[in-house]
Amino acid sequence: MRFVLATARKDLLRIRGDWPALLLWMGIPLMVGGLLVLMFGGDAAPHAKLLVVDRDQSLAGRLLTGAFQQGPLAEIVEVESVELDEGRDRIEDGDASGLLIIPEGFGRALLDGEPATLELVTNPSEVVLPGILEETLDITLEGAEVLRRIFDEPIDRIAADLDREGFPADSAVATVATAFNRAGEGAGEWLLPPAVELETVSLAEAEEFDFGRAFFPGMLILAVLFMATGLSTDVWAERRLGTLRRAVTAPRGAGVIVAGKWLAGGSALALVSAVGLAAGRWLFGIEVADPLLAFLWLTLVGVGLLALFTVVQLLARSERAASVLVNAVTLPLAMLGGSFFPFETMPGWMVAVGSSTPNGWALLRLRAIMDGVAEPGLLAVSAAVAVGIVVALGWIVARRLRGWA
Amino acid sequence: MIEVEGLRKEYDELVAVDDVSFTAQPGKIFGLLGPNGAGKSTTIGCISGLLPPTAGRVRVQGHDVAREPRAAKSHMGIVPQEVALYEDLPAAENLRFWAEAYGLRGDRLSERIRSVLETVGLLDRGDDRVETFSGGMKRRLNFGCGIVHEPEVLLLDEPTVGVDPQSRVRLLDLVRAQAAAGVCVLYTTHYMEEAESLCDRLAILDHGRIIASGTLEELRGSMGERDLVRLSGTFDPETVRRAGGSLEGVEVVAAGGDQVTLAMPGASRRLSELLATVAATGAEVRETTVTRPSLESLFIRLTGKELRE
Repeated sequence: MRFVLATARKDLLRIRGDWPALLLWMGIPLMVGGLLVLMFGGDAAPHAKLLVVDRDQSLAGRLLTGAFQQGPLAEIVEVESVELDEGRDRIEDGDASGLLIIPEGFGRALLDGEPATLELVTNPSEVVLPGILEETLDITLEGAEVLRRIFDEPIDRIAADLDREGFPADSAVATVATAFNRAGEGAGEWLLPPAVELETVSLAEAEEFDFGRAFFPGMLILAVLFMATGLSTDVWAERRLGTLRRAVTAPRGAGVIVAGKWLAGGSALALVSAVGLAAGRWLFGIEVADPLLAFLWLTLVGVGLLALFTVVQLLARSERAASVLVNAVTLPLAMLGGSFFPFETMPGWMVAVGSSTPNGWALLRLRAIMDGVAEPGLLAVSAAVAVGIVVALGWIVARRLRGWA
Repeated sequence: MIEVEGLRKEYDELVAVDDVSFTAQPGKIFGLLGPNGAGKSTTIGCISGLLPPTAGRVRVQGHDVAREPRAAKSHMGIVPQEVALYEDLPAAENLRFWAEAYGLRGDRLSERIRSVLETVGLLDRGDDRVETFSGGMKRRLNFGCGIVHEPEVLLLDEPTVGVDPQSRVRLLDLVRAQAAAGVCVLYTTHYMEEAESLCDRLAILDHGRIIASGTLEELRGSMGERDLVRLSGTFDPETVRRAGGSLEGVEVVAAGGDQVTLAMPGASRRLSELLATVAATGAEVRETTVTRPSLESLFIRLTGKELRE
């Protein structure tokens, strides 16, 4: 045990000596959190700007853009009318999330039930917000199509009257009203009671989507992921120095050396976890239901990732190959595991894959701890699994080190 | 004491060490002399427990390295060929770590760190990071890390490679001091002068096999009083070999290309006779070298090549 502590002490001194790397690891959650604040103007919710070029100036066009200014969507989407050239320039400059071009004759085509094409140009540097615009537009247009089919006859009459360029006569209005009524009664057998019950959740009543809360746990996992990657390269540094070879010839086995190295790594990971959680609380106002549990879980996850990446390092035949291999593993893990993009923004299949990655699996549990909804039994099993994996990987590394040193 | 019996180490098709046996005694320096790639480091690797032997047995202070590795290793100190230090740590921290690796603690630990720093001449640099040291200072500290726990057996794998002459003298003095203190020292080198000046017993390795062993006197005796004569020029090596071999007491060690090597007693007195015999074959000799009996000449006589080739 004394040599484990001696190894840990030696490695901690070396980690402390490389303090710029330590600062960088601690800075990752702060830096990315800060960037998010800058990107979204310091608000918790995202904002999309929709530029509209309305060449039709019809009621249909106004209703369409009005859809973006209704209810909770109005808090996210800001609609601004622009000329075509200005709109194209601004979308190219990344000044908006989307540019909607309503062509001339769009309203007429909608009334006549004829095909019409809308053009939505999205900002390629954004993923989530243009998606919101596109989805909203799709839903609105599908709604318009349904209304057009249900109220086919009265809409045709209105269109015919408009063709005569005058307001319809009272008798025509009465006829149209009767037709709407008849169409409504006809649709009633499906609508009342509705064949499909639609449960509506008011966005205003639901918990507000907290961007920082969705991103920050992923940033913490990302910080320990990067740190574990960096710490795992030390086996190559020790091999290059010749100290690993020398250490393996000491009476204590390679397993003791591995335990000491991971104890030192775990201590550094604990420091980064503590700083990350504290920064979330004090800089970004992110409350954690159980900070101690979150800290312990994050540290354990970090040690697990350190063990995993040490094995990956030992699979490579050279230090350079190891660097490529570790990057090839780290980046997909970070992308899929919910660290770069929250699971909420991913398609279902990707969430299924991402939550099965080690960091994704750990992230889901960290979020549950932070939100205070973690089940103690499940968490205990998860921690036992993580400890078991670390021990198993430690055994593999110790066996491999003897010949590899 | 180190006892090596029938040691063999294979790497796939390559046999790095083949049937090596020797015994190194306490208070003596045993030298393993051989060119690069002869199997010296592999032998040290097997003794230190770093490499599992393919066959054979190694015992250190009576403990079998394969069966009782912990007990065997606890008696050993190792000074590897390459400097193996934490360059980002101070010298004293390096010594502390390697001392703790062998179980030292408390007052004895502090006392040994100070004592070794003094021994290797780095007492005033103990708190400085190793990366600020010169090559010679690193070599001395590297040696210090091998002796900090006062081992009974010390394995030194070419510790003077790349060391300046002043540091080399100091290191060799340190090695002698260890032997004088009763430590069993195994010293590998390809510098014959070092081996001659340092070692009590020697084994000469080539291609993984011991080709000669004994004390320095015994090895010199096996050469007799014969000098080595190397002739370079334009000639048919086989013709010169036959002509040289016809002279009394002359042994042709190697012949090939534009060079012939012969062993003969009193070469300086019989050089004119030799050259006349060779010239009679139509050979044109451009250069003649005479070497007095030494480990170098023994190695050449045994292998037909120089130690540094």
